[in-house]
Amino acid sequence: MIKKLLIANRGEIACRAIKTARKLGIQTIAVYSEADRDALHVSLADESYFIGESAPAKSYLNIPKIIEACIKCDADAVYPGYGFLSENEKFVEALDKEGIVFVGPTTHAISVMGDKITSKKMAENAGVNIIPGFIDILQDASHAVALANRIGYPVMLKASKGGGGKGMRIARTDEECREGFERAQSEAIASFGDGTMFVEKFVDQPRHIEIQLIADKHGNCLYLNERECSIQRRHQKVIEEAPSAFIDAETRRAMGEQAVALAHAVNYCSAGTVEFVVDGQRNFYFLEMNTRLQVEHPVTEYITGLDLIELMIKVANDEVLPLSQSDVQCKGWAIESRIYAEDPYRGFVPSIGRLSSFLTPEEGLNVRIDTGVESGSEISMFYDPMIAKLITWDEDRPRAIAQMQNALDNFRVEGVKSNTPFLASLLRHPRFQQARLTTAFIDEEYPSGFAVQIPENADVFVVAVATVHYQHRVRASLISGVLPGHEYTPSSEWVVVGEGLNQNVSVFEENGHYCVNLNDRNYIFESSPVIAHSIIRTKINGESYTFQIDRDGNRYSMYSNGYELCLSVYTRNEARCMELMPEKTVVDMSNFVVSPMPGLLISLSVEEGQRVETGEEIAVIEAMKMENILRAEKDGRVKKVFLQEGATVEPDQIIVEFSTEN
Amino acid sequence: MQEILKELDRRRDLAKLGGGEKRIEAQHRRGKLTARERIELLLDENSFEEWDIYVEHRCTDFGMGDNRIPGDGVVTGYGMINGRLVFVYSQDFTVFGGSLSEAHAEKICKVMDHAMKVGAPIIGISDSGGARIQEGVASLGGYAEVFQRNVMASGVVPQISMIMGPCAGGAVYSPAITDFIFMIQDTSYMFVTGPDVVKTVTHEIVTAEELGGAKTHTGKSGVADLAFENDVDAINRLRRFFDFLPLNNRSDVPERPTQDPADRLEKSLDSIIPANPNKPYDMKAVIGKIVDESDFFEIQSDYAKNIIIGFARMEGSTVGIVANQPLVLAGCLDIQSSIKAARFVRFCDAFSIPLITFVDVPGFMPGTAQEYGGIIKHGAKLLYAYAECTVPKITVITRKAYGGAYDVMASKHLRGDVNLAWPTAEIAVMGAKGAVEIIFRQDLDDAEKIERRTEEYKEKFANPFNASRRGYIDDVIQPSKTRKRICRSLVMLKTKQLENPWRKHGNIPL
Repeated sequence: MIKKLLIANRGEIACRAIKTARKLGIQTIAVYSEADRDALHVSLADESYFIGESAPAKSYLNIPKIIEACIKCDADAVYPGYGFLSENEKFVEALDKEGIVFVGPTTHAISVMGDKITSKKMAENAGVNIIPGFIDILQDASHAVALANRIGYPVMLKASKGGGGKGMRIARTDEECREGFERAQSEAIASFGDGTMFVEKFVDQPRHIEIQLIADKHGNCLYLNERECSIQRRHQKVIEEAPSAFIDAETRRAMGEQAVALAHAVNYCSAGTVEFVVDGQRNFYFLEMNTRLQVEHPVTEYITGLDLIELMIKVANDEVLPLSQSDVQCKGWAIESRIYAEDPYRGFVPSIGRLSSFLTPEEGLNVRIDTGVESGSEISMFYDPMIAKLITWDEDRPRAIAQMQNALDNFRVEGVKSNTPFLASLLRHPRFQQARLTTAFIDEEYPSGFAVQIPENADVFVVAVATVHYQHRVRASLISGVLPGHEYTPSSEWVVVGEGLNQNVSVFEENGHYCVNLNDRNYIFESSPVIAHSIIRTKINGESYTFQIDRDGNRYSMYSNGYELCLSVYTRNEARCMELMPEKTVVDMSNFVVSPMPGLLISLSVEEGQRVETGEEIAVIEAMKMENILRAEKDGRVKKVFLQEGATVEPDQIIVEFSTEN
Repeated sequence: MQEILKELDRRRDLAKLGGGEKRIEAQHRRGKLTARERIELLLDENSFEEWDIYVEHRCTDFGMGDNRIPGDGVVTGYGMINGRLVFVYSQDFTVFGGSLSEAHAEKICKVMDHAMKVGAPIIGISDSGGARIQEGVASLGGYAEVFQRNVMASGVVPQISMIMGPCAGGAVYSPAITDFIFMIQDTSYMFVTGPDVVKTVTHEIVTAEELGGAKTHTGKSGVADLAFENDVDAINRLRRFFDFLPLNNRSDVPERPTQDPADRLEKSLDSIIPANPNKPYDMKAVIGKIVDESDFFEIQSDYAKNIIIGFARMEGSTVGIVANQPLVLAGCLDIQSSIKAARFVRFCDAFSIPLITFVDVPGFMPGTAQEYGGIIKHGAKLLYAYAECTVPKITVITRKAYGGAYDVMASKHLRGDVNLAWPTAEIAVMGAKGAVEIIFRQDLDDAEKIERRTEEYKEKFANPFNASRRGYIDDVIQPSKTRKRICRSLVMLKTKQLENPWRKHGNIPL
């Protein structure tokens, strides 16, 4: 029986595991690196153990150190989470040697499934559908190009140990194939210490649908329905749901049975996931099997009512699974949004720093939050920028989406940028709502990236900002020291300016709510307290809206449902005077290539005097384990290079200056 | 009677036009509002009571006899900002370039005298080419009359200067005496001598903007407190700023309702101090989390950034905030920051505004530049200001409080009323390494010994408990509870009575 569990991970999954362990009466031990001294998972665990420097290789990937932690803390089992050592057979071997239980599958299953080529062979033998391709290991870039030509473009270059979008590249031309091979391989070496690469056909119009499995050591294996994870950005999942709107009962059963067959073939015994790519005709092909619990497991937990970590622990205790296939439920609809600390408006570059404020919606029947951070946490450059998972559930898909939209409006991250506006934009996208998804959804619908979204009709924003401002003005009138008879009464007439708008609004208070007139239309505005609150919940003409508001005097930044508007509220007189004010000139930065994020300048492809064309690579910056290529935004000549390769860069630091003349 | 009333309207309308349509247009083209437009924006709607609209100059030399415009280049009177009384004067650049004549000065003096009598703040809006040269010494006399009143009003009623155009020559000394100077980016400048004279005398070639623009005075010279984007933005923010100020030196600080609970816990403060003592953090983030509604009105934000000063509210009442900024020069005290904070402390003391001081100071800045510049005398200004001041003083030591700088920053010994420390506080003569290298000089070659001694010193002083044992710190508190503790202390100190001995005035090391 497991009595003391060491959690060899960090962040939300470590916190998540601690919760289940506590429920089962198991003592928990957290391990932490230098950067995680004050992390949430450390304070939640019963005990904690320091395992080294911040870089993962020195801490969370450091097998001897974690084994040492197990021994020192008397752990009888280890829960690995995802990433880090979760699929590392050497780690499992080391634990076996010490007689410590690994809450996960056997080394055999890990090693077979951890290798994309052997896993494919194994799947094929087990009768699982396979994508056409070559299973040769690529020697070099030229070999990749040769094989790619035999398969026919587009192809996918994949690192054998790859995962989570790292070490993967799509190529549509020989040149892309060559470049993709190099980059994917160097990423794979950096992230997984293994540069083995292969190439396969890239399926067009694909959906990513995966089957959750749970197997015990007594030959029982169940499939816990599917998850659809088609919404991906650079192969990184963004929104996941269960079940999939695309899968009928028959396909579900077929996929489930194939997945179970594969699990049996490797004597699988824990939670695992078989990932499939599904084409428009519901043909499904095996992609890979993940021999760990996945990030998106909560959606499965929601629709099945199971606690997967609890089941994993029971299985690790040699218990028999407490249910059979016919007991597996598929109830309602669950959606998960991954909240990343990244700037969606600047190409999703990681955003690091201190979370000065972290406000989450209330958890309950319909809303679940898995997170490893809290207000005051530090988002470091060493780890994955995912800071939380927001999961909502309801009876059906449209309602689950609505729950998610509302929850996101109540999610507020300050100090670092987050992708919540992007998530909100995805959720309200008609194609998403109609479930017409493919893994290319984001590339197709946001071909030039993501920009600030301004609603076509901003009336509710104008109504809200005018009313909020009016309430602040009313409060200003309540100051002490007013000369009797000279009380200030805020005007009811306001002008809202910004984002191309210039609208007259009237605001009156009446019986505890506000009557607002805009464009000859009347609105009734009711809200939660406005002053001293950055999130306000309103009803405008009976409909619910949640706004996030930043105020600086009469200037407001209003956020709701992924839309973001900067609006100023003026009196009529001020608005008239504003028209006389000169426009301030903005400094033209288009001749500079600046670092979009803090990181390391690992390569610089241009020198002074060189001519460059739009789209040409200028420099590569590594941050948060990702290589980010900076490209020329226009044609020109390099006037000055400010930094050398190997330099540490700050956000907005100038790397190269162009001159536009030839 | 009808005729008479009509005549009144005619005269009034004429006066209101100032220098006429053409000049008003020119003023607008420069991106500036007129004197009256500014007043209208500044004061509550219809609250302006104008005086001396028919005043004209009395000069007859150089053809001025035929050139009279009612009002004589300045609009004066009183009105309300959110219902509170304020006296204003606003120079009218469309009339004789806003130049100051004897009559013009008399108008300004009149409102200043009234402001003093009734105890209300004065806001002066400068937009003037300088002295009315045609009047000669009469104009100079006018300036001095204003200066004298500025000095008499100092510490009696708040005085605010808005520089919204040129302000050159002797004219600069009126704003210089007032409590706060605000400028407008690109359209205002202040200097004692303009670029032409500078060129002749020192052969320096400099533009008016470089010499005395908003950026120069808010960043380099520290003459101005803040610069605003344009006239409308400036006046809007001035109204906000005004709400923080008491009306005079005998009135209470203004209060207004807030929905921000006094006992709000701010969990994020428990982790704001980095584990590494050499790693900075943003003290403004600390302030923002503690004050009402995160509403902190910082002044001199571009000057001597190693210290932060500004106004905020606690439970709706104004407080003055002084804080070391570890992000800049590690939060060291130097000449500029000492002067900046000293003047602010004295303003708060003069107007009964309680002071909250956040301390993270590694000491005074070393170096010849500082010593030659007179850090001894200038640092003493801050010491003097804190020691002299009698308003409620609450001090929170967040991290370092080293050496003489510990004493200076509103320590218990300078009559700090409530001195709190976070558990991360280190109150010592200096950092552990430096201290050990002096005390155990003989062991300098023995690295191991030195290290052990350093640990020993750290254990003894790198915490708030040694100071607490002596009562220099009233309590060591959880950072997340700082707001609650400050609010409670302020309530307790509301009735604080403390008087300095009678004297004509002290002799602050100027």
